[in-house]
Amino acid sequence: MSASTMPAQTTADIAHAYRQERAKRAKRSAVLKHIFLILTSLVMIYPLIWMFAASLKPDNQIFGDLGLWPSEFQWENYSEGWNALPVSFTTFFWNSTVVTVLSVLGNVISCSFAAYAFARLEFSGKTIWFALMMMTLMIPYHVVLIPQYILFLNLGWVDSYLPLIVPKFLAGDAFFIFLMIQFFRQLPRELDEAAMIDGCSPFKIYWAIIMPLSLPAMATAAIFSFIWTWEDFLGPLVYLNDMKDYTVPLALRSFISTDGVSQYGPMFAMSILSILPILLFFIIFQRLIIRGIAMSGLK
Amino acid sequence: MSRLTRRTFLGASGSVLALAAMGRPAFAQTAEIRHFWWGNPERDRRTFEVIDIFNGKHPDINVTGETLGFGDYFTKLTTQIAGGNMPDVIQQGYGVLFEYIANGAIVPLDDYVGKTLDISKMDQSAIDAGTVDGKFYALSIGANSHMAMYNSRLFEEAGIVPGEDFDPYGYTYDELAEFAAAVKEATGVAGTDDNTADYQNFSDFVVQKGAMLFNEDGSYGPNQEIVEEYWATWEKIRNAGGTPPGPESAGLAGVSELSQMGVVTGKTAMTYLWSNQLVGVQSLMQDTLGAAMYPNTPDMVPGSIVQPSQFVCLTRDSANPEAATTYMSAFVNDLDMTKVLGLERGIPSQSDVRAALQPDLTDVEARSVEFFDKIQGKTAVLPPPPPSGSNEVEQTFERLAVNVLLGERPIPDVASDFLNQTRAILARA
Amino acid sequence: MQKFFRRNFAGYAFLSPWLVGFFLLAIGPILASLYLSFTKYNVVRPPQWLGLDHYVHMFQYDQRFWKALQVTFQFVVISVPLKLIFALGVAMALDKGIRAIGWYRALFYLPSILGGSIAVAILWRQLFNYDGVINLILRLFGAEGPYWLADPKYSLWTLIVLAIWQFGSPMLIFLAGLRAIPQELYEAAEIDAAGPVKKFFAITVPLLAPVIFFNLVLQMIEAFKSFSGAFIISGGSGAPLDSLLFFTVYLYNEAFSFLRMGYASALAWVLLLIIALFTAIAFWTSKYWVHYENERG
Repeated sequence: MSASTMPAQTTADIAHAYRQERAKRAKRSAVLKHIFLILTSLVMIYPLIWMFAASLKPDNQIFGDLGLWPSEFQWENYSEGWNALPVSFTTFFWNSTVVTVLSVLGNVISCSFAAYAFARLEFSGKTIWFALMMMTLMIPYHVVLIPQYILFLNLGWVDSYLPLIVPKFLAGDAFFIFLMIQFFRQLPRELDEAAMIDGCSPFKIYWAIIMPLSLPAMATAAIFSFIWTWEDFLGPLVYLNDMKDYTVPLALRSFISTDGVSQYGPMFAMSILSILPILLFFIIFQRLIIRGIAMSGLK
Repeated sequence: MSRLTRRTFLGASGSVLALAAMGRPAFAQTAEIRHFWWGNPERDRRTFEVIDIFNGKHPDINVTGETLGFGDYFTKLTTQIAGGNMPDVIQQGYGVLFEYIANGAIVPLDDYVGKTLDISKMDQSAIDAGTVDGKFYALSIGANSHMAMYNSRLFEEAGIVPGEDFDPYGYTYDELAEFAAAVKEATGVAGTDDNTADYQNFSDFVVQKGAMLFNEDGSYGPNQEIVEEYWATWEKIRNAGGTPPGPESAGLAGVSELSQMGVVTGKTAMTYLWSNQLVGVQSLMQDTLGAAMYPNTPDMVPGSIVQPSQFVCLTRDSANPEAATTYMSAFVNDLDMTKVLGLERGIPSQSDVRAALQPDLTDVEARSVEFFDKIQGKTAVLPPPPPSGSNEVEQTFERLAVNVLLGERPIPDVASDFLNQTRAILARA
Repeated sequence: MQKFFRRNFAGYAFLSPWLVGFFLLAIGPILASLYLSFTKYNVVRPPQWLGLDHYVHMFQYDQRFWKALQVTFQFVVISVPLKLIFALGVAMALDKGIRAIGWYRALFYLPSILGGSIAVAILWRQLFNYDGVINLILRLFGAEGPYWLADPKYSLWTLIVLAIWQFGSPMLIFLAGLRAIPQELYEAAEIDAAGPVKKFFAITVPLLAPVIFFNLVLQMIEAFKSFSGAFIISGGSGAPLDSLLFFTVYLYNEAFSFLRMGYASALAWVLLLIIALFTAIAFWTSKYWVHYENERG
């Protein structure tokens, strides 16, 4: 069936037949793909729909009645939720934004430095450092929580954002280092060698060659960094004391009580709002993953 | 130190911050007091308002509030204990209070009583509850007791009239088996939660049987017979059809989320909690809740106790205990402040405060006050404080009881297993 | 000396932020936890030296330790491969040539965003209840579902499903990896009449190997350390009957519920060693199936 089995045709014919065949196959598989994707999407999005429905119900109807459709739409959950706590969500969103944006910057810059060293440069002791870096990924964080708290307390950083942000600028998350290493190692070695012969410094190679070619990896790291920082509550929980400094996830956890009146509706309303920045960031940055391909055409 | 670093953000390096903190004069003009509690939006609003009132009245003291949800509160507190950085005033529950006293995180208040701390109008029972080995440690900010909450609509539909068909303040497990089955029959909803894995109900049962949960020497009170009988009692109710199927209840063992309780999800008509949870549970339901005591044995020996739901305590790390106790005193005595606090943390243990609140009670608050009036004289005496490890015993009970609910192992086996493990836990603690 | 300096300078310069962070912030707490694992430490009083007592107790007497290991291993072994296969499958479907692809990606990432939130806990209870959605569907096919949440034989599966459902991050990494594969290779293969299976094994797998390897190692580490799902769904205790007693849930309870920080630290170090062992094995095998561009030729 395939084009190469028809010897009598010219090269142009072969190419044409091949392209037609490919288009047909692509169309068929596109339909199948869409069906598969839509079905899977439904499973994926159901919890969000449920949460959205819950965010519109009065508290006394969320749990007894499992139906999705609210009997009355209580949009006030949004306005009430925004101001339900002694500090308004305007402050919480601002705090989260500051911490998250700085963390993303810190992670992408400092981790790509370390990853470049590990992936492209030769230096003694590399294997040991790499192993130690991996070890920081493996230790369960609950047992380092207290020693770390005491450390930051002695530095005078507790009750400020410093413990949440400074480690990000010191390549504190080995996940990103390892991720970038894997992508950097995929770039052809000849690039560095050619640049080196042209007299480029290692920094120039990092900045002008490795980084631009690794846009998909950087975008991926930025997305994860954004989401995980935005959602992190253990760090803010331990290091922030004043409610005015709370981030969104910490504030959300103040809605639920085991010995008083919880506010589930407003909590779900604020949860929905807290997802929006993540989705926005995601949609914007995942484009960079696509654009990366145009760049890598350079090589 | 916190005041100085709080608003500082990346502007200065850590060492500068540390210097700034150390540079603060020890005899600062205003005493900085940190108050930490677990809460919810309503409690947070009220407590911050109370702090403002207090700061307005005491220019020499500056209280700052810190709050978290219950689930996160103790994680943070543990971290702060380790760092020697606990807030001055913390909120404590009855269950773990004694461990904090035993390990020295909470300090006695006796030196301040009659000076900065006024407890002259506190109920003696509340003072006793906060006293260990003759020292007064914990200031009660609300009384609490076991409370069964039933769905009045479902009971009505089944023709069960509280006060006629059963006495909410004195009914037996046998009666419960009967009317729970009747509710199931009439409405299709199981009449009661299955408490096989409920340690609070078990602890009542132990006292009803004339034993104590922990003996004076700290050993475990219940014997094989009592544990077996407790599980057999609930098995009978289950077999009579009054509860959801065993496995259904097993899935909820150890879950404390109010939104998952049987009355809230509509899976049962009666759930067993604490009186200070009535308001919270009611807010998640459309049907009206009625209040009852926990069931009893035919001998009607009181099993439930009235105990503080919450205390405020002074911590080891407080640098200014006089100012801290001044604040604590106002928190339970100052009528301007207690008016704002209301019943949100439970029924106040100070008589003047109770009287002042009476006119402004909401409907559901009035129901819990009425409950407290009715259980007077029907409650047991406060047991000696539970020893370290009691927390773990409770978790072990909840875990092993699931065996009974699933019907996988015979009750006597599970009971002896539980008692063996309990002995091991207490020996290790 | 000077030669040594010159040879190492660039590497250490680029590594310096990490080195500062490691020595200033990371290594201290890690070593402290190692020290604490040899002590009795209830957080309030200073730690008391015990030597190897915790480790002896753990291996000789602590049945819950073994139970936690068993639950965790089961979870890792089942959930990691399934999650990776699922993530790779969806990533390939989402790679290119589909309209509104960005939205699909966002949709598929949603469950991972919801993470360990309370909404997920409530929802999972509703789905897996005896009269919940899952059993309703099973009933349509004439099967009677079990008590998923209560029966220790099945409860772990609800968490495995949860883990697979939150396949967003490996998916995204696979996507980025697929983007890095030169398109010409596929076109050349098509001209050679290679079918999709052949293309997958001849092009996708080898070229994606570094990324597959990354996802495998990281997902394994994450699965060993998995905490929040089991914690919220079991109400923090690992119920029913310890069938959801993930290692970290046990560790958390020892540390923060029972204030046995020393013992918890010992548990953590055992877990660390286990993870390190498996990671080392993965790295060792990677020599045979992961090849990097910069190592060729």
